Order: sequence, then structure tokens, then C-alpha cells
Amino acid sequence: MRFVCALAVLAWATPAVAQDVTSRDVRFYSEGIQCYARLYLPKNFKPDAKAPAVVLAPGWMQTEPSIDKYAARFAARGLVAMAIDYRGWGRSGGYVYLAEPIRVDDRQRFSQHTAKVRIRRKRLLPVDQVLDIRNAVAYLQGEPGVDPARVGIWGTDMGGGHVVVAAATDARIKVAVAQVPIIEGKDAPRQAAPRPPELHAAELRLARSAAVPAAPTPAGADAETRLALADYHPFWFADQIADTTAILFVIAEHDARVRNDANAIAASKAMKGPTGVTVVNGATHGLATPGAFETAADAAAAWFLKYL
Amino acid sequence: MAFLRGLRVFVANLLRVSSGEQPRDRFRVVRTTICAVAAILSFGRGASAQIPTDIVERSRADLQKQAANAEMKREGGTQPQDWAYSLPDGVSTRQVTFYVDGGFPLYGKLFLPRGFSARAGRWPAVVVGHGINAISIGIEKYAARFADRGLVAMAIDYRSYGFSGSEVSLLETDATTDERSVWEREARVQLKRTDLNNLHEVDDFRAAISFLQGEPGIDADRIGIWGSSNGGSVVIMVVEQDPRVKAVVSQVAGVGNRPAAGPVAIPPAALADSIQRARTGKGAEVDGGFSFRTKIDLWSNQANREFRPGSAVDRIPETTKILSIIAEHDELIPAAGAPDAAKAFKGTWQVVVVPYLTHFQMYSGTAFEVGSTLAADWFLKYLK
Repeated sequence: MRFVCALAVLAWATPAVAQDVTSRDVRFYSEGIQCYARLYLPKNFKPDAKAPAVVLAPGWMQTEPSIDKYAARFAARGLVAMAIDYRGWGRSGGYVYLAEPIRVDDRQRFSQHTAKVRIRRKRLLPVDQVLDIRNAVAYLQGEPGVDPARVGIWGTDMGGGHVVVAAATDARIKVAVAQVPIIEGKDAPRQAAPRPPELHAAELRLARSAAVPAAPTPAGADAETRLALADYHPFWFADQIADTTAILFVIAEHDARVRNDANAIAASKAMKGPTGVTVVNGATHGLATPGAFETAADAAAAWFLKYL
Repeated sequence: MAFLRGLRVFVANLLRVSSGEQPRDRFRVVRTTICAVAAILSFGRGASAQIPTDIVERSRADLQKQAANAEMKREGGTQPQDWAYSLPDGVSTRQVTFYVDGGFPLYGKLFLPRGFSARAGRWPAVVVGHGINAISIGIEKYAARFADRGLVAMAIDYRSYGFSGSEVSLLETDATTDERSVWEREARVQLKRTDLNNLHEVDDFRAAISFLQGEPGIDADRIGIWGSSNGGSVVIMVVEQDPRVKAVVSQVAGVGNRPAAGPVAIPPAALADSIQRARTGKGAEVDGGFSFRTKIDLWSNQANREFRPGSAVDRIPETTKILSIIAEHDELIPAAGAPDAAKAFKGTWQVVVVPYLTHFQMYSGTAFEVGSTLAADWFLKYLK
């Protein structure tokens, strides 16, 4: 009966999700940078209650609007959902540098100035993005009406890899969903490899020059991004996730971007706690085929509702 | 080579004896046997992965005196008189700026050994990094000592410490958009000093390595790193990520292990602080302690607890040579960390205990002589 009800609700709710759900812009701070998120609240949300909540993290070069619909759908299922922009992307603030040096003595810990600044955006630094997800979790823990002990994380594509790292490094995160995650494959060496010569030369240039490094483009990654990615190994974290943490992997059957067996499926096998792999049949990496989004989002929502 | 020649003659003679052939010279068998045994013994000693530590034994009485001397107690940190040194003859210095995180300026002071020439020769080089709330000034004397021993050495300030740049945050709304990747403007900013962050310190070391590798006259294949106290933990984290480092010295450093399962716990005060920080951009401070009396963020202590270099020694290339120098009565560092990590490591990781001393006594007097000599010996042995 519940199943039939659920189906009925889904069928009714799909186009009209936003009617029950309210949303608003919020700002959270990640290492001093003011970041943007859209907060979705379920129907009948009460600030004096204790609702479960989820942080949603976008993929490679993506911003909050790309994952909005997942947040709305989670909220329709009773979860508080916060879809974020990483620092330097979308409506979040960028990386701030002084364009001209200002000398401050260490004894003056904080000082205020009017200064020429350089703000860098559109960088793809995975370690920073993981911290943005974790700081969004902290923000939600302080949100009236959210149960601070029941905050999960969801990430897609690159964000799916971040989910694995965040779950391994942050004791607050007990439930996670990694969708079409990019997790450096299980067969990747467990030790850092020397850089290819051309990338090594770029690393030396970056350390010896004040010039602003290039930004990544959809056509290809710049040296700074390639260096950061070469240092980033989510799979190394997979076996460090606590046995009390529940992680679901949602994958596309025909994913041409990542090899499911070497990424999500292998990572799931490395988990000590509750885990599962949901395959979205017929779908590709973007989960854009008819019904794929709904299947993927509902599998994630069900996982959060079960384990949060 | 003498050893191999002796061994060949010895084996050849043995074969002749065992085949019943009369050796041309009976005494030659005896002589070559003795030679071969001696050669094997000396070969074993010469090929030892360890450095001799007789300086520790020779200095034992002086170390005991230093430990007992009321004037040499260093309970709260080092003192300005511990930082003083005179530049060795022939050693020159140069201040340099290098960059991390795509444009963040860091300070380094290069110590160039006697006879150094950017145009002649390929010199080994060492990055020298300080501990918590210390700055490069306090450890320049190690760099000077290494240069005196023939190594290029670079003492560095980490991000937001000493002469390095400050952490910058905007005091106004950031109106920049993804339309461009770089924006220049005038803005109200807040600068922050002493932002302790091991994740950043690892990158600061790596940027310093890159700087040295690109410096004329330096052999990019002979790079070492030296770190003391918290910096000694950071250098282990560096080699867990960066295969360019050939030799490491970690002095009076914690090399912790991760808890058996899962991430490090977050106590209630740190949890409350992280929430406040995420919602307001401001958090609590605690006394950063030690040689400089500045505050640090409460969250910094929590974040640094996440890094347990002892739990990832399998990520260090086995060809990396590591020396840990421990103070016997270190009041800040659990004694078992470095020895346990050394045992878990498949390559060479020597542990030397300097007797009688507490943590901050390592930086002065006889202890400095012992610690800096062992470190220089290590680098000279493994950056050859």
C-alpha cells in the first residue's frame, strides 16, 4: 500500500515538486570565502523540528543550477537539501590574492586594508572542493530545523569522488551517495608517480613565477588543474571509510566517461559498512535519458531516508 | 672492486682445491680467504643504510649537563638566543620569493655553500621548514650548518608566517562572475596571519622543492627536506605525496597513526566552532603557543589532527631515505610514533634518540650540534 502511495505521490509530484517545496539562497563560508548555495525545504518544514538534511555537490566545471532538480526532488521526499557552488564557481566568491604586497607582522593576526586584489575563478582544485562540501555540512548542522546528527552528502561526477574523500575524512558524515562518480580507478598505483616531464616543467614554472596561471577550459585542463588532479586519489580513501558509514553508488549502465567496474563498483567492494550499487538502465553519464534522473534521484533519496 | 677481485681469486682457489687441483701457492688460499672475509666485513659496514651515531655517545655527558642546566630549560618554546648563529666562512645567502597555490608569495632564504656556482656543477639542496608558530629565523642556523657542509639549503616561511604573504579574504561581497577567470580590482580585505594548516604546509614544501629544482646550479635529482616539530610531521606527509624527495630528516616530530577505523573524532567544542565558522566566517581562537605567542584558529588544531602521517607510510617510495631524530624526554610527542612508522616502512628509516632532552632543548647548545650534524650526515650520505 505504501508502495502504491509512493508511486502515486511520485507520479503526481514529478512536474509539481516545487509547489510543496520552498527554496532560498544562502551563503556559507569555506575557508574565509563566501560561497553560495540554494537551500530547499520540504513541505511542512518547521524550524523547531529536527529534519534530516543533504548537501549536494556538482560535477566537473558545473554549478548549482546543474543539480537543482536533485535538491528539489530530495526536498519533495522530506529532506532538507542544500545545492552548493564550489568556491570560484557560479555565485560563490573567488580566490583572493593581493595584487601588491602588504607587510603585516605575525603579532597582528587580523588587519583590514583597502588593497588592489586579484580574484581567480573557475579553478578545479579537488582538495578545496572537498572542504567546500564539508563546510556546507557544518552550515546545515547549524540550520534551525535540521538535525545536526543527520546530515548526508550527495555528489555527481567529480563531486561523486569528493563524496568518497569527505566520507573518509569527516566524522560528521555518516550517509553518502556518489552518482556516476569519478574515483581514480582501483588499479591506479598506491604511491605518487613522478610527473611527466612537461607537467614537471609546468610545476617548476608555477613555483618560480608570479604570473597568473591559465584557467581550465571545456576543451582541456590547464597545468594547474592537471597537477591538482595528478595528486588527487579518491580511491586511496575508499578503504578508510568507517564501517558505520553508509554509501550508495548510483551509476549509468552505458557510462562512456568512467569505467564503472574500476570506479564505483570497485569502491563499493572496498566499503566495510552498508553499501550498494544502483544501476540506471539505459542511461549514459549525464543521466539525461528519459526517466534516468528520476530513477537516480529516487534511489539516492531512498538511501538517505533509510540511513539518516 | 678490490673486494670483488679478492672474492674471485678466493672462489677460484677453492674450486681448484675442491677439484683436487694443486694450488700453485698453498698460502695464497689462506691469504685470499683472509682478504675475502675482511672485504665482506668492510663491505657490510660501508653499505650500511645507517649513519654512525657516535656523536651522540661522545656528547652524552654534555647533553646531560644541558638537560640539567636551569638556564637551558626550554619549557615553553625556543628563545631568541637559540636562533643566533654566525654565517660560516664562504657561505652566502640570498632572499627569494617563490609561489604556491598559483600566485601566493612565500619567503625563502637560500644558503649557498663555499664554491657554489650556478654555472659550474650540480649541487644537492635541502628545504628547511619550521614548526608550529615558529618562523624561518629560528631555523636559519640549521640551513647555515647544512651549507657549511656543502649543501644548498633554503629556510622557508609557510603561508601566513614570517615574511611570507597573508591569507586574504574580502570584507565585501564578491561580485565577480564566471565570465572571466581573473579579475583585478580595489577592495576592502582582511589579512590573516599564523593560519596554521598542515595541508598548506605540505604544498608550501612542495613549492619550495619546485623552486629549488628550477634554480640554476642545483641538481633536481638530489633534493632533501628537513622539518622540525610539526614541520617534522609535515615532511613525512610530503614524501607520502611527492616522489621527488630523496632524503628526509624529521626532528622531534609526531608521526601519528590514524584511529583503527574511520575519520578522527570531532569534539563538541570543535564541532560548534566549525558550524559558527561556516555560518559567519569567524571562529574561535586558541593560544598557538611556543616560540611566538600568537593565536591560531581553534579549528586548525582539529584539522591538523586529520593528518596522520604514520598511517600512510606505504605510500612513501621505498627508495626514500628517512632519518628521525627524537628527544628522549620529549614532553609533546608520543615516543612510539617515529619508531613504529620506521618499522612499518619497507625502505631505510633510521631512528636516533638524543638522550636526556625535552622537546625545545633540541634547538640549542650541544643538542643543536648533535641534531644538525646527524641531519647533515644523512643528507650528505643520501644526496650524493
